[in-house]
Amino acid sequence: MTAASLGASRRTLPEYDETLVWVVLALLAIGLVMVYSASIATAEGSKFTGFRPSYYLMRHSLFVCIGIAAGVAAFRIPVQTWQKLAPYLFLLGVVLLALVLVPGIGRAVNGSRRWLSLFVFNMQPSELMKLFAVLYAADYTVRKGAVKHTFRKAFLPMFAVMALVGALLLLEPDLGALVVICVIALGILWLGGFNIKVFAGLLFALPAALAALVIVSPYRMQRVVGFMDPWSDPFGKGYQLSHALIAFGRGEWLGVGLGASVEKLFYLPEAHTDFLLAVIAEELGFAGVCAVIVLFAALLVRAFAIGRQAAFLDRQYAALTAQGIAVWLGVQAIINIGVNMGVLPTKGLTLPFLSFGGSGVVVNCLAVAVLLRIDWESRRMMRGLSI
Amino acid sequence: MNCAGSMQAPGLAALPPGRSHLLFVLLLLGLSALLVRAAYLQGVHNDFLQQKGDARYGRVVTINAHRGMISDRHGEPLAISTPVESVWASPRDVEATPQQVKQLAQVLGMPIEEVKNRLSDTSRDFVYLKRQLPPDQAEKIVGLGVPGVSLRREYRRYYPDADVAAHLLGFTDVDDNGQEGVELALQEQLGGKAGSQRVIKDRRGHIVEDVASIRAPKPGSDLALSLDSRMQYLAYREIRLAVEQHHARAGSIVVLDAKSGEVLALANWPSYNPNNRAKPDTRVMRNRAVTDLFEPGSTMKPFAVAAALDAGKVTAETVIHTEGGEFAIGKRKIRDTHPETVLTVAQVIQKSSNVGAAKIALSLPPEAFWRSLSEAGFGGQTGSGFPGEAAGKLRDYRKWLPIEQATMSYGNGISVNLLQLARAYTVFANNGELKPVTLLKREEPVVGRNAYSPATALAVRDMLELVVKPGGTAPLAQIAGYRVAGKTGTAHKLEGGRYVNRYIASFVGLAPASDPRLIVAVMVDEPGGAQYYGGQVAAPVFGNVMGAALRLLNAPNDAPLGNVMMPPADVIKEEA
Repeated sequence: MTAASLGASRRTLPEYDETLVWVVLALLAIGLVMVYSASIATAEGSKFTGFRPSYYLMRHSLFVCIGIAAGVAAFRIPVQTWQKLAPYLFLLGVVLLALVLVPGIGRAVNGSRRWLSLFVFNMQPSELMKLFAVLYAADYTVRKGAVKHTFRKAFLPMFAVMALVGALLLLEPDLGALVVICVIALGILWLGGFNIKVFAGLLFALPAALAALVIVSPYRMQRVVGFMDPWSDPFGKGYQLSHALIAFGRGEWLGVGLGASVEKLFYLPEAHTDFLLAVIAEELGFAGVCAVIVLFAALLVRAFAIGRQAAFLDRQYAALTAQGIAVWLGVQAIINIGVNMGVLPTKGLTLPFLSFGGSGVVVNCLAVAVLLRIDWESRRMMRGLSI
Repeated sequence: MNCAGSMQAPGLAALPPGRSHLLFVLLLLGLSALLVRAAYLQGVHNDFLQQKGDARYGRVVTINAHRGMISDRHGEPLAISTPVESVWASPRDVEATPQQVKQLAQVLGMPIEEVKNRLSDTSRDFVYLKRQLPPDQAEKIVGLGVPGVSLRREYRRYYPDADVAAHLLGFTDVDDNGQEGVELALQEQLGGKAGSQRVIKDRRGHIVEDVASIRAPKPGSDLALSLDSRMQYLAYREIRLAVEQHHARAGSIVVLDAKSGEVLALANWPSYNPNNRAKPDTRVMRNRAVTDLFEPGSTMKPFAVAAALDAGKVTAETVIHTEGGEFAIGKRKIRDTHPETVLTVAQVIQKSSNVGAAKIALSLPPEAFWRSLSEAGFGGQTGSGFPGEAAGKLRDYRKWLPIEQATMSYGNGISVNLLQLARAYTVFANNGELKPVTLLKREEPVVGRNAYSPATALAVRDMLELVVKPGGTAPLAQIAGYRVAGKTGTAHKLEGGRYVNRYIASFVGLAPASDPRLIVAVMVDEPGGAQYYGGQVAAPVFGNVMGAALRLLNAPNDAPLGNVMMPPADVIKEEA
């Protein structure tokens, strides 16, 4: 490559990751359409929504707008600031998680205390906590870089913090968020180059811990058993999953057509939130499911690329944060899709960017804004510009 | 970036790139595995899943078929099926607030508890809340918008003539199956075959998609009855008036087409409105003209005379010694209300002499008399096909005592239903030919069986004309402009094996006598007033109905309009 052509390509090089922006906008757009389609019948038939068919659409649109606005604002915050704020944000997250459990402030839905009542809408601190966990774990890993091979100094403090967060999440309970946050923390420690023996040990310890949890709480046991054979009790424990699977089967390759889902007509519970993908599968078929999965794959490709680029520029915090976000969004998507398809037990996790849920969408947008900021800073550094 | 290789950053070693790659690959593998799983679910396992889905929300619903219309001979509707809505619920899917349950109960006109009970039976997928609602009420139910409560199209039978033809038409049950009358008798033709359709329902029971029609509903056939609704109304009105005027228990009337044996009208009083879902007791619902037997009394005399005429034992002019109105057979005595010493055969009919009739009957061997009566359709059924028709009783002649043969001549010891009696008179209208009766409109003329020779039939018809003349028992049966032939009957009712002083007044006649078009038979059960003779109670009904019916048919007059001649004195009375 000649210097001239290099210069030319630099001039045309955009200042931000366009691919990532389009991928996220596509996911948000699909989500908006499908949330409306999946919720229209329940919204129209429910007193709670005032029998307005567009109830969920209006709210979801509002959250997407808020998310994009928040993202644009967050994009202006330098990565360095995020790093400085990370411990405090993490602390704020812990406080919010604790507040959820306070009667009168926290709001319970379906037996889970996951929401803070903010008059106009409810906030879900566990969603926020996922982002804070990424920011905090990355900062932690960078700070402990010198001692990363000693178990006591490198791992124990993190385990202690995670145990606290985990306890709060179990009290809600929100097992899905706990799994995601654990994966985020471990993923970032792994990426930070922490002692591989510890991870080897965890590989055995974690499944054992999860198994213990399942055995202690019978309802989790039911969820586990239910997903293994939904047809053994299709009207009880396997009800939701069996309907999700039927939705997939009905969709075939090209779907029954947008709006034509039968499962969303009161059969499939949580059709517009956790089981949105089942409605996508029924209405848009394998083609729709494939599009969603490919978009998430593209998101991962971009996020890891941004992370590696940052690592290459020796921006360890940015690199870990970017890849941490990738792990978070990737794992949450995989779990949600896996639950929809009956390969993982029901968790109560939304599909990032697509599912209805205000806090989730806004926090996902914030995460993408941080990703874009990291990338933007890397690009400027590569050009020798100031950040 | 080819320049990257030369820029070995010091921090790169801090973050091992291999771990990042491994994690990245693992995540992508996860997504790929899900893609494979999706392909399996949607492309391979889909048949099984769709089958499970069909089991959840695929339903086969029946589509009710339209029941055939019943019309009269001119196409006037007598029974039509109108679409109505029935309210049903799927208790498992019902989500109703107490307020809604209350409103539901209000609109349905049911007690709240009852509605609650039905909605709480979650073991069932389908309960009717109320069937066959008028459209405005159904609309209100829809307006309530209670999930799980739906409407179902059904058909309700409507009888425009209400109580006028109630007994003949009968009615259907709530499932549109015939329960009585013609509705029951002709269920096969009238009843539609319900179709079925495969549909997809949402969880609240609403049909969201028609998948396939399994069987199209087959509507029932329309039927035209032999009835003439104008004559039916006429007959109904007159019998009702007569029963009320004479404080009788009940009354029946049958109008036959004399040539074809078609039933043009058949009415009873008391009657009921079949449009009301609540039905009265069987006393009111019974189609007495067909289901009740009675001893016909003197309306039988023409058949005794005809038998003797046919056998050549007597002629119209043969003189019968009537013994001064009292004639003993063994220990029993036969009496006349108007004692005479001698009467011609024709006068026996005109004055309705029991003694005369008995003597004429006794001139025949029992077997011949029995055969003759059988040929006139006595004993057995009429073949009308009406459900619950009572078979007339005519005992075996080998067991007859002479007194029995004698009393049978004036209608004691034999029982008939009114339709049967009316049908028997077709022999006098058709030169001795007994026509089969039918409730359905006949397109072709029918050939019956010959009971008597034409000469006998004509001779009896002439005698029957005397009955309505002054000096006969029924001058009140006369009709302006038409010659009338008929016979009165006033039979003691039989109770517990004994004749009591309660009566059945009857009159059967044909007109115009020169070429009979119609036969009208009238029977009034237990007239409670001072008048109870057939000539006083039944004959006027006959006159009114026959006269109006002939004018309806535009039958040409066979007598001058001033033909009605009332006797100076009272009507000649008879008993039996």
